[in-house]
Amino acid sequence: MVLVLAIGDLHIPHRAPDLPAKFKSMLVPGKIQHIICTGNLCIKEVHDYLKTLCPDLHITRGEYDEDARYPETKTLTIGQFKLGLCHGHQVVPWGDLDSLAMLQRQLDVDILVTGHTHQFTAYKHEGGVVINPGSATGAYSSITYDVNPSFVLMDIDGLRVVVYVYELIDGEVKVDKIDFKKTTAPQSPH
Amino acid sequence: MADTDSSEPAKSDAIVVKFRARNYAAEATAHSLPRVPADLHPLSYAPFLSPQVVAIDEEKHGTLDPLRAPCRSVVVPSKDLENARRASKPEISGSDAAQLLGKEWTTFKRFLVQKFPPSKTVAVSSIANLVIGSHKVYEKSNAHLDELDDPQGSAEEDVTFITQQEYTARLSDMKTDILSSWDAGDHFKSLKLSVKVARLLRDTDLLQFYPTLFTQVTDILDMLGDMVIERIKRKAEFTEDGTQIRALPEDFQARDVCSEAKETCHNWFCKIGSIRDLLPRIYLELAILPCWRFLLDDSTDVIQRLLAMMRGLGNPLASAYCHLYLVYSVQKLPARHNGYLITCIRDISLLMVPIVSSKVTIEDINSESRQVLVHLMEPPMEYIMKCIFKDHQQGCNILAELGVTRNLSELFGEYSCVSLLLHHLLKELPPEAFRSNILHILDLIERGIGSSFDQCVNFRLLGFRLYETDAPVEIVNVVLERVIQDVSQYQDLDSYLKVVDGYVDIVLQNQMKIQLEMLLEGIAERACNKWINDCELESLKSVFIKILSHTKCLENILELNFFAEIIDVMRGTAKNAINMRLLEIATRNGYIRCPTTVQFLFEVGQGLRNCNGFLSMLDSDNQHLDRLLSRFVHMVDFGTEWELHLTFLIEFRANFASADEMKETLVHRSNWLVMKALKDSKQLVSFGKSCLAFSEATIPSIANPVKQLFLYLETAEVALTIGLVCHSDGLIDSAICSLQSVVGGTPLDVDRIICIIQKLCSLLIMVPGNPIRGVTYISKSLLSLVNSNALRITARLKVRTLSANIILLAALSQHKLPYSPGDMKEVPGNDLLYFDDPSYQEELASFCRHLLQDMILAIKEEASPITRGSLALEACNSIASVLEIDDNVLCICNELMEIAGSCLSKEHFYLLSTSKLFVANHLRNLSV
Amino acid sequence: MSVELKLSRSNRIYRPDEQIEGKIITKFSSSISHYGVRLTVNGSVNLQVRGGSAGVIESIVGVLKPITIVKKSVEIRPSGKISSGTTEIPFSLTLKQPGESKSGKFYETFHGEDISIQYLLTVEVARGYLHKSLSATLEFIIESEKAELLELPISPELVLFYITQDTQKHPLLSELKSGGFRVSGRIPTQCSLSCALRGEMTVEASALPIQSIDIHLLRVESILVGDRIASEATLIQTTQQIADGDVSRGLSLPIYVLLPRLLTCPTVLAGPFSIEFKVSIVISFQSELSKLHPKSDPRTPRLWLAMETLPLELVRTM
Repeated sequence: MVLVLAIGDLHIPHRAPDLPAKFKSMLVPGKIQHIICTGNLCIKEVHDYLKTLCPDLHITRGEYDEDARYPETKTLTIGQFKLGLCHGHQVVPWGDLDSLAMLQRQLDVDILVTGHTHQFTAYKHEGGVVINPGSATGAYSSITYDVNPSFVLMDIDGLRVVVYVYELIDGEVKVDKIDFKKTTAPQSPH
Repeated sequence: MADTDSSEPAKSDAIVVKFRARNYAAEATAHSLPRVPADLHPLSYAPFLSPQVVAIDEEKHGTLDPLRAPCRSVVVPSKDLENARRASKPEISGSDAAQLLGKEWTTFKRFLVQKFPPSKTVAVSSIANLVIGSHKVYEKSNAHLDELDDPQGSAEEDVTFITQQEYTARLSDMKTDILSSWDAGDHFKSLKLSVKVARLLRDTDLLQFYPTLFTQVTDILDMLGDMVIERIKRKAEFTEDGTQIRALPEDFQARDVCSEAKETCHNWFCKIGSIRDLLPRIYLELAILPCWRFLLDDSTDVIQRLLAMMRGLGNPLASAYCHLYLVYSVQKLPARHNGYLITCIRDISLLMVPIVSSKVTIEDINSESRQVLVHLMEPPMEYIMKCIFKDHQQGCNILAELGVTRNLSELFGEYSCVSLLLHHLLKELPPEAFRSNILHILDLIERGIGSSFDQCVNFRLLGFRLYETDAPVEIVNVVLERVIQDVSQYQDLDSYLKVVDGYVDIVLQNQMKIQLEMLLEGIAERACNKWINDCELESLKSVFIKILSHTKCLENILELNFFAEIIDVMRGTAKNAINMRLLEIATRNGYIRCPTTVQFLFEVGQGLRNCNGFLSMLDSDNQHLDRLLSRFVHMVDFGTEWELHLTFLIEFRANFASADEMKETLVHRSNWLVMKALKDSKQLVSFGKSCLAFSEATIPSIANPVKQLFLYLETAEVALTIGLVCHSDGLIDSAICSLQSVVGGTPLDVDRIICIIQKLCSLLIMVPGNPIRGVTYISKSLLSLVNSNALRITARLKVRTLSANIILLAALSQHKLPYSPGDMKEVPGNDLLYFDDPSYQEELASFCRHLLQDMILAIKEEASPITRGSLALEACNSIASVLEIDDNVLCICNELMEIAGSCLSKEHFYLLSTSKLFVANHLRNLSV
Repeated sequence: MSVELKLSRSNRIYRPDEQIEGKIITKFSSSISHYGVRLTVNGSVNLQVRGGSAGVIESIVGVLKPITIVKKSVEIRPSGKISSGTTEIPFSLTLKQPGESKSGKFYETFHGEDISIQYLLTVEVARGYLHKSLSATLEFIIESEKAELLELPISPELVLFYITQDTQKHPLLSELKSGGFRVSGRIPTQCSLSCALRGEMTVEASALPIQSIDIHLLRVESILVGDRIASEATLIQTTQQIADGDVSRGLSLPIYVLLPRLLTCPTVLAGPFSIEFKVSIVISFQSELSKLHPKSDPRTPRLWLAMETLPLELVRTM
């Protein structure tokens, strides 16, 4: 039972002053074991804030990130799952399923987490699962100006993952969940 | 149609490229994982509803507790420990207590030396003169046939004409001599030398050096004392031939000591008693004070006598330090009554009266050296006060016994007390004793003897203590009323500020706005129309920083009377600090919406900026200021008054925007403003244009091309979103120009350049094709950029750019584009513009053919096999995902797979997954 | 070759009615023959008259015949041999037989300027004419026997004193004379030798700042020479400073003087001689003049000094 927070595209302070207060009150230190952040934080203060929630923090670089040390892509293994992380502005076209599947093959991961479109999506295709946690602050994106703030919490337990989607709609936090299992050998070698 | 390459058609006709048709919306729906509302989730507030989540939460607490428990277990047991220590204090063995005392004393001595460091720069001659000066006094004493005076080894003669270091060195020589003569059995000589050492303390003219001298001398005396005690103890425990006859327990009594040892002990006291000079006589007796234990069980009389003898020390400095040594030495005795400490305080108090009271003028002591003297006398007072309240309970008991808790004046006499002493008492007074005496202390401060400086410092300290002890509000009110009245007599701004500094916290904590304004008024009266000196500025700064740190909301401060007036009279770094703090507060909590506040902050920023021009601020300060100003820009929000907001941005740029960071912020802000306005009203073409114009004017002045590039792209996105295509075209052109200079020479790595190009390609999907330039115009500019011969152009950059463009072309060929700007119909995409236009499709396809060939060539150019293999795989994946796979394409893919196979290990996961995909796609093709 | 005397008490203090015990320690490289080991006790009052500042009779200068208090000789060992190495010979000696007449009063040991009362113990190992006798001498201290002590600790009878510009017989600095000063205090007239001399004094007022206040102990030794008495007061080397610098006015300063052994004894008023004591309080005021005379005798009247001398009877108590 591991909780992984997937969050990204905060665009603080350029497009939003801070995380929504309702999110902040939910995100308390000590509950989360890993944070994966797709990028575009954009300033160091946000990095520091995330670090207080959980010291195990993984970040990839968005185009507006000041910190040049973030890599373009990153992979990590949590339990039985291999996770890939990428901001997504590099994916042509943005958020395209085929292109994401291509990236997923390239990174060789079970779950790929990307952002940039500021819209929550979760796809399953033959190669695995692709998740976009959306923008945690509801910042406008290249393709939309009306964004509900959202982030994702993944509860990884053995071969099962429950993805909780936290979305702020009209001032209320709405939580959905998505449940999926890893097939025993999704990428069995020939 | 755009011009096409004349040499290519024949060849390109050989390959027919057909883009795979996509239905993005349907695919997304088909692959979306189903979402169901979750009533319970790991971050929910009600974990008890579900047993599963309870388990989770328990586990969370379980994982938490190891982290939290330590802090709790540190906090709680430490209290217990402390209690236990307090409870067991009487049982602490003597040696432990002695060790503790020794440690404390060492620390204190170090503090003393640090506080009054022996200055090396003091002229040699002045010190020497002091020594010679005192030398005469010694000679005079030598005239008496002092039994202990050794006419041969006169140390005083040796110390003439020496520096402080030599003085110190000479002392350590003396120490060695004392030790060696002791070891040689000549105890009498050791004593004689020690007397000489102690006599040095008569020389109070050394002033700054005196504390250091004191530590060194007492060090030697302590050593002698220890040796004497050891010797007498040995006499009491062993016979002459070294056999032990008894062991003295830790808490031995005088009756346990044999007469031989008593005799020796008595002799020591007799010898010391016959020292002619008062000061060394007292010091030496103090050094061997613990020896009284061998003779008496109750040494109260001895301590009282020594204290009485000290009254004979006319020099206040010598007397104060002598008291200090007494207090330290008495603590070595086992049981003691702490009443003597009160006597010490009273006596020192008496000594200080003539020094601090302004009425009595002492000859030879001007006011400056008087200050130095007072300063030098502070540490002993501090130490003694600390001892009184070392053990809170005991301290209070002493006070209670003396009736001090009811009436503090017992300690100081009826009407007067020395402010400085009161200061230290106030500092050390335990909270409970303090709380019950607040008004009385206030009386004492009001009547205190000493300069007004001391008084205001005491007023201030009283304020601090009121704050920290949580004094009841009624008392606070009374105190404040009186203090405000008292300090209204102060003409001097500095003293006034010092007092205010002490009360700001408590006033703010209790939200006493009226009192705060009264204090501010007082400051304003004294500060306006006068040149404020640096010291006063510092105090003013301290006061205002406190006010600001208590303030949650800027408006509350701005409402305060006199606030602005006082800020106005401030200047320099103090003002900057306040201004910075104001900006920090303003930008800390969410948006600033009030125009007046914005205007105020604008001026604050201007003040800071202007100062910056004159004073050379540190770079770090400058950066901090830039950050604050940026943050300020970010935090301004005029709601739906967008025009006003834009005006603010323009004004801000005119006044502040010198740094890139600031301009960047302004562009971001202006873009944000457009998007926000769009979200709120959707009818803002002209406003949008103004904003874009602002951004377009601002971006070129940014020095860093990478930042420029991203801002162009962001602005282009915004322009597209609000349907201003001509702006977006211009911005993308500018972006490509910036890209050119980035590729040309900025220290930006190739991968980031690739990312930028990829992002640009994704953006281009939304950009309507320009019929005049041709739909592939921008792609072509991009490609010509990567085909240039710049050094930084690598095969990887080329291949990725090509494959991104191939995907772009494929997306453009679709019946419905994957996305449109802002999901709005106002900006028709290429899918609508060229709906069912075969020439458009043909152009895309032919350009794609061209790119395919270039890509294969580029891959082959790559020298590194591993990179070549990866690039081939990437290319293959891209092709397979966007093109219909016919024989021609298959042929190309096979070629690429061969390259990959030859370069990479057969087991390479990407190779495997690609070939698997390839098989799947091929099969799919067949089935179609 | 050496002979040594060692007493049973390390402080060497005995009372006349007590046995003096100890041992004779001989250290020889080879054994020697002797004609007996004798122990001699000799107690005497030595008197000397000097011409001095007191301006007594200058013609009679010289040592007067000592007054014997006790003289006793005892053979500890008859003639024989003392072996080589270290030999300890214990002894025990009675100074005063209980029945002995009181003619020889055992005065307490005292070392003064003109008078000294001394008790010596001498051992002699006689070795015939060919060899020089081996001998050693040791002083021991006599304190009054218990029977003669005052039975109760004396209740100190305090004498009040005032020192002002008017009590001074010598000329003073003009500032002092006009501005005035007043120091008051009290001090006992009688003091036990085993206790410290305790008193107190207060500077009530002073026109000039005070430099120092010292307590001097004086002994007055008087010797009957013919029909005249030669008397001299000298300082005992126990000068005690009780104020160093300009002390606070109105504060009581303690007088606390430990009386030194040997240099003091109970006040004696015998026929041929007498030993008396005095306390002198000397106040020095700050003055440029005083620096010109750094080594002056504190008893010399000076412009910047004020003084008061009071008699003090010393007694031996329980």
